[in-house]
Amino acid sequence: MRELDRTFCKQANSAVRLLAVYRYYEGLMPRTLVIGYGNLDRADDGVAYYVINSLRRRLGQEPLLEYNTGLEDLGAQTDAIFLTQLVPELIDTLIDYDQVIFVDAHVCEDVPDLHCTPVLPAYVPSAFTHHMPPGMLLALLQALHDREPAGYIVSIHGHDFDFRRGLSPAAEMLVAPATESILQLLRQPGEDRCH
Amino acid sequence: MVARKLTIEPVTRIEGHARVTIHLDDEGKVDQTFFHVDEFRGAEKFSEGRPYWEMPQITQRICGICPVSHHLAAAKACDGVAGVEPPRPAKLLRELMHMGQIIQSHGMHFFHLAAPDLVLGFDADPAKRNVIGIIEANPALALKAVNLRRYGQQIIERLGKKRVHPFFTVPGGVSAPLSSKDRDEIAAELGTMTAIVKEAISLAKGWIGDNQALVDNFASFPSNYMGLVDEEGGLQMYDGEIRVRDSEGELLAQFKAADYLDYVGEHVEPWSFLKFPFYRPMGWAEGASTYRVGPLGRLNVVDKINTPMANEEFELFKQINGGKPVEPSLYYHYARLIETLYAVERTAELLDDSDILSNDIRAYPPLKLTGHGVGVIEAPRGTLYHDYDTDENGLITRVNLIVATGNNNWAMHTSAGLVAKAFVDGNKLTEGMLNRVEAAIRCYDPCLSCSTHAFGQMPLEVTLVAADGAVLDRITR
Repeated sequence: MRELDRTFCKQANSAVRLLAVYRYYEGLMPRTLVIGYGNLDRADDGVAYYVINSLRRRLGQEPLLEYNTGLEDLGAQTDAIFLTQLVPELIDTLIDYDQVIFVDAHVCEDVPDLHCTPVLPAYVPSAFTHHMPPGMLLALLQALHDREPAGYIVSIHGHDFDFRRGLSPAAEMLVAPATESILQLLRQPGEDRCH
Repeated sequence: MVARKLTIEPVTRIEGHARVTIHLDDEGKVDQTFFHVDEFRGAEKFSEGRPYWEMPQITQRICGICPVSHHLAAAKACDGVAGVEPPRPAKLLRELMHMGQIIQSHGMHFFHLAAPDLVLGFDADPAKRNVIGIIEANPALALKAVNLRRYGQQIIERLGKKRVHPFFTVPGGVSAPLSSKDRDEIAAELGTMTAIVKEAISLAKGWIGDNQALVDNFASFPSNYMGLVDEEGGLQMYDGEIRVRDSEGELLAQFKAADYLDYVGEHVEPWSFLKFPFYRPMGWAEGASTYRVGPLGRLNVVDKINTPMANEEFELFKQINGGKPVEPSLYYHYARLIETLYAVERTAELLDDSDILSNDIRAYPPLKLTGHGVGVIEAPRGTLYHDYDTDENGLITRVNLIVATGNNNWAMHTSAGLVAKAFVDGNKLTEGMLNRVEAAIRCYDPCLSCSTHAFGQMPLEVTLVAADGAVLDRITR
């Protein structure tokens, strides 16, 4: 970080100044689409919705209402959207971005509760469902449009997938740290950014 | 050799949504096959206590793949609850949105899930036998497929003002008219889309011709069939009466949506969370009272298709079994494409209708609710029932949903069993054998993983389990 930047950061001790710092660095960032996905009606399956809105607040953007995806007002340096499911036509949107960060819940016991990992284009066979994982979406983009944005996924361990609104305490506790992880990814282009 | 069990299991975060278990006998031959759905569908209970007019929004979140189907079926049920009849322009606009859904959903299924088997072969390397392999083999075709899906999706977006989960229908109509600009832009691409669908039909027919023996014997079995028809027996996707024909093509019943419980029963098996709907007047009798829905079911019940190019294909389709119902499950792919052609042609008709730009798009409900409504449409995968009761304040007290994939539950189970018996040999197990079992289920385009999602891979796991429960082998891809 340059000395001038350090000084600016030290002075940025209010929420407004923090936003100003973000705006300052925004011009240095790769254009990024953050895609949260899940089902708000299935408890922790919808954790990405809360992360996306937390992120949008940090970016000075309006939070999404529950029936909005954010797809209708793209155009910022960092856009953050929330979908029920990844679908193939998203590749038409991804063309415009240098980096894609997926946000989802996970149930893997062998990864940390808050997990961040790169996503590479990869076809994952699906026996008889329409499930489309992030790597598949990137593989389609690469195959059809020869574009390969950097991909990451930030995921939170889900504990409750019942038919209800709201998060389990354990998942809720990780919304803010997940937001920080995404901001970290936005701030440090070109490095190994999953910590 | 001991009896053992194979499981084809896409593992998901909620303990797997569906799997196929193939039980082998002592000689390693297939004894029995089960198609299990492990996902409990709790949307009905979740909806209780909510205002009825929220149902078009709530229920479309059941599914990220076909939200429009639930949106429209819910809207029709809400019309019933409110006791209101939407004006003609509103019905046309709802149907136009539905055509967008049919185009995008059928297009996605054919190119994403069916074409890899058809273009690359059942035994092709699974690393290649997928949509990426299609792109490598025929990039122009792949781009056309994406274009077709985009087109259908944009019809939905232009009407609903959103790409996903539109806010379009209201009890008694729709929330916004169609602009002349949107009409003209949708119409401008009709020729291109027609050409794409015709190319896909040509591809499918070519493949069928080259593989006629396989097609004729692959998951071919008699059943009843169900689908919506208009007053002249023509194909209907949005409205009409529900017709049921038997395996010989004889009419079993034709009834109004509101009377569906007199004709549709639901059977429960202990090994699956998904119920098995059946033709109620016959009682539960596996094979005799069970039926198929979706593209094959629809084309097996209708007398005609009301658009010229699709009807021309339909006439060819009817010749396959001499005018009787077409039984082999692989014909679902052909039927699906005929319907896609219908949807494109019907879109053109709707756009040309003099009422399509009308502002008369909503009738306001009377103050007193009826408290009950049933909405039925032909979703891409088949007949979809939404049935609501409310209290006097319009709060939901009971919901019954019978989804298309549920209607085809017995058919998928049967298809998997027939194909397993025909192709799986436990002594010389190959990936291609298991792919054929999956392909039998893919014919029905089931929608199983829609209400939740999974981070990471959704591997296909094949587990060999001995009669004593010991795991003999496990294959994951």
